[in-house]
Amino acid sequence: MTRVEVKSLWKSFGKVQALRGLDVTVESGDIVALLGPTGAGKTTLMKCIAGVERPDKGDILFDGESVLDTPPWERNVAMFFQTYALYPHMSVYDNIAYPLRERKMAENEIKDIVQRVAEKLRISHLLGRKEPATLSGGEMQRVALARALVREPRVLLLDEPISNLDAKLREEMRAEFKRLHRELKRTLIYATPDYLEAFAVAEKIALINEGQVIQYDTPINILRKPRNKFVATFVGSPTANILRGVIKLGKENLLLDTGEFQLTLNKTGLRNIDGREVEVAIRPVDVVLEPVSGQNLLRARVVSSEKLGTHTIVTLKVSNVEMKTVVKGIKNYRYGEEVKIGIEGDKPLLFDAASGEVLG
Amino acid sequence: MANSNRRSNRRARKILKSVATYVAVVVTVGFFIFPLFWLIATSLKTRAQAFSTPPLFIWEPTFRNFIDIFLKRQTEIEAITGQELELATGAEIFFFNSFVVTSFSIALAIVIGVLAAYSFSRYKPLGTNTLMFFILSTRMLPGIVVAIPIYFFYRSIGLYNTYLGLILLYTMFNLPFAIWMMKSFFDDIPKDIEQAAFVDGSSPLRVFRKIALPQVSVGLGATIGFLIINVWNEFLFALLLTERTTRTVPVLIASTRGEVGINWGLIAAIETLYILPALVLIFLLQRYLLRGMTFGTVRGGQ
Repeated sequence: MTRVEVKSLWKSFGKVQALRGLDVTVESGDIVALLGPTGAGKTTLMKCIAGVERPDKGDILFDGESVLDTPPWERNVAMFFQTYALYPHMSVYDNIAYPLRERKMAENEIKDIVQRVAEKLRISHLLGRKEPATLSGGEMQRVALARALVREPRVLLLDEPISNLDAKLREEMRAEFKRLHRELKRTLIYATPDYLEAFAVAEKIALINEGQVIQYDTPINILRKPRNKFVATFVGSPTANILRGVIKLGKENLLLDTGEFQLTLNKTGLRNIDGREVEVAIRPVDVVLEPVSGQNLLRARVVSSEKLGTHTIVTLKVSNVEMKTVVKGIKNYRYGEEVKIGIEGDKPLLFDAASGEVLG
Repeated sequence: MANSNRRSNRRARKILKSVATYVAVVVTVGFFIFPLFWLIATSLKTRAQAFSTPPLFIWEPTFRNFIDIFLKRQTEIEAITGQELELATGAEIFFFNSFVVTSFSIALAIVIGVLAAYSFSRYKPLGTNTLMFFILSTRMLPGIVVAIPIYFFYRSIGLYNTYLGLILLYTMFNLPFAIWMMKSFFDDIPKDIEQAAFVDGSSPLRVFRKIALPQVSVGLGATIGFLIINVWNEFLFALLLTERTTRTVPVLIASTRGEVGINWGLIAAIETLYILPALVLIFLLQRYLLRGMTFGTVRGGQ
């Protein structure tokens, strides 16, 4: 088990600044997800930890010792590459066995391990295949995963390991990672652009954007206490509705004036924001269609509806402001249909309009 | 009626089109193959048959020429003095010389070239682009321009009329080609594959041997093919820098005479044997050579 510390890491590729003073500490044996959009710097961070990219500035420590001068082949890190990076001239079996052979393990031992891992990932039937290039995307991904899992490294890095699998296998693999992590008790770092995957797998999430950690927290806190607008709009499906307006202090609550309509928000404790321009995140579940009663009753027009089986996502327009809501079951709404909505103003999240930082 | 007429019309046009295509192909291929055919045909003719007019297309083939080039003592004209000399051996020494010079210079060019190409592709040393251009620029001068200086240079340092001399010269000629071609193949290997091998525990030398090199085997085959053709065919420097003991086949061909006048059958026999290795090589490597010719245009298309 290894504690991984990344200290203000900078890395650029030509003119592209991939990492901008990124800090993160993964406790020994933890499972941490790096969550962020494409190009956020997740892959670069992992490659720096693995040692195949050298950071421009900053330090990486394993158990308190800098590993910057340890070459990757001596770091004892395993990594799943997002591009799979299978060795095209080797059979599937040889691909998976490669890390073990490089460690001079006996062939019969290698055989046992490869077969066990292949079974777990359901690719035993592929072991004899000569050219990995002829495998399907999902198969390649599992072969690459097997290659990362055959060893017992100090740190296991998985860069979007299940993005190409079908939905069912993806669900199984998420559970498999958790189980694997419990069994192996390895420090595991897992990169994904999918917040659901991050929430399902990890105990802690480092939300990364533009080469920096925006928030490093438990999944619950990421969801409930986002540090800024970026976090609030990155997690959730659909993501939170952002309404821009000016705050007026009421007696017991706040009033948001969007210019088109006014909303009452039940937020106390914020007294110094009168007249300030803010953005408010309203979660889709807080937009209620056809409410019987409640606050903030408004009229809206249906723009579109996506029927997703267990629920329906409805896009609405209130005056000129677009909002999304989620209703249970399959509901039919016609384009242009006028509906009544209510917006629940309990515990709203307010962000400073200029900086995007959370208020209160 | 009209319908079936139109249909048969269309079919006739189709047949005509394919016939025209075949004729065009046969004429074109014939144009290129004919000299080769005539060469082999002449090598199987006696002196009289070779000179007969109209040319003979049907005759009883003889292998006399092939026996003669090895058994009969050859005469040749000394390059500088124009003096006729009788050689101590048959043609085998020339084939042996060609073989020695070709194989050693190719081996050297490939070993140095592949290592240099890999370094340029992976480590991008300071000034890589300038260096690469400089390497290419050494091939921009026509050989004849430097022929005289090299001749005197070789004479003064004792490389004249040695295997080593020709081998070093050919290695130098081939290196730019080997480096440029191999670099483009190494450039095609995705970065992640080698990085994965580093993480899997391979040192740079092992990554080169076990990951990079096997992936460019096709390119390596193509490069070797081109280099062999370059060296095997080289005439100018072989003529200038060798004497009887180290002379290669192209020089032999140019200086072969019969006892009375030119014996075309004899020359054709030497030439036939001379192009044989190249033909076999091209046949074996055709897949690689084609890939080599299109390199750069179909990047990464494996």
